[in-house]
Amino acid sequence: MSNETLVDVDTLRSQVREKYRDVANDPQGTHHFHTGRPLATRLGYDQAVVDALPDRAVESFAGVGNPFSLRRLEPGERVVDVGSGAGFDSFIAATQVGPTGHVIGIDMTPEMLAKSRTTAAHLDFDHVEFCEGLAETMPVEDGWADVVISNGVINLCADKQAVFAEIHRVLRRGGVLQFADIANGRPVPIEAMRDVDLWTG
Amino acid sequence: MLEDSGFDNVRIGPPVDTFGGAIGEAKARSFEVYGYAFLAHRI
Repeated sequence: MSNETLVDVDTLRSQVREKYRDVANDPQGTHHFHTGRPLATRLGYDQAVVDALPDRAVESFAGVGNPFSLRRLEPGERVVDVGSGAGFDSFIAATQVGPTGHVIGIDMTPEMLAKSRTTAAHLDFDHVEFCEGLAETMPVEDGWADVVISNGVINLCADKQAVFAEIHRVLRRGGVLQFADIANGRPVPIEAMRDVDLWTG
Repeated sequence: MLEDSGFDNVRIGPPVDTFGGAIGEAKARSFEVYGYAFLAHRI
């Protein structure tokens, strides 16, 4: 990961919104990545926990790994989910932290926010909320979070150093960042890194 | 980058074949792209 901004930030955000609007509205449509329950199984999520969630909580899941694989959340923890999408990881987190904990999902795509909020109400999860925001400027107080999670989102942000600085701001001292993301084993040519279309497809 | 951003005790999980069988598999294979879990603590 480089801290150099290689593409236009607004163009990239617009394309990411468009891509994930499609995933929210048509999760079974044609996407270049897996989605939903088959993806959750592929990534090693606890099958019983996923099975307990309704389709609308899982169908638009488009993560790239399992942010809970290296550490299970503790009851009572306060969690921020960066790029929460339709809420799948936030709902898993809510299950782990229980009613004494709290989860704030942050997303910039209106269709994803609408879907996650409706699902939270359907699940009667009072300890989960979803807020509009960017990974670089989250509507969360300094040091509020015990844990920050994220899944397949940071690779879609042009300025990764700014995202990590913001995560650092919202975490308490000693807090935990547990996230999943993609990494490449072979170098990507600089021309390809400047092609915004390749960031989302 | 994590350590430069004020985190330590960084752990990385094993690779996951995130794109295997998906439309994006060929492009992912060309750059050996896999999914990973990361764990780090705020200093």
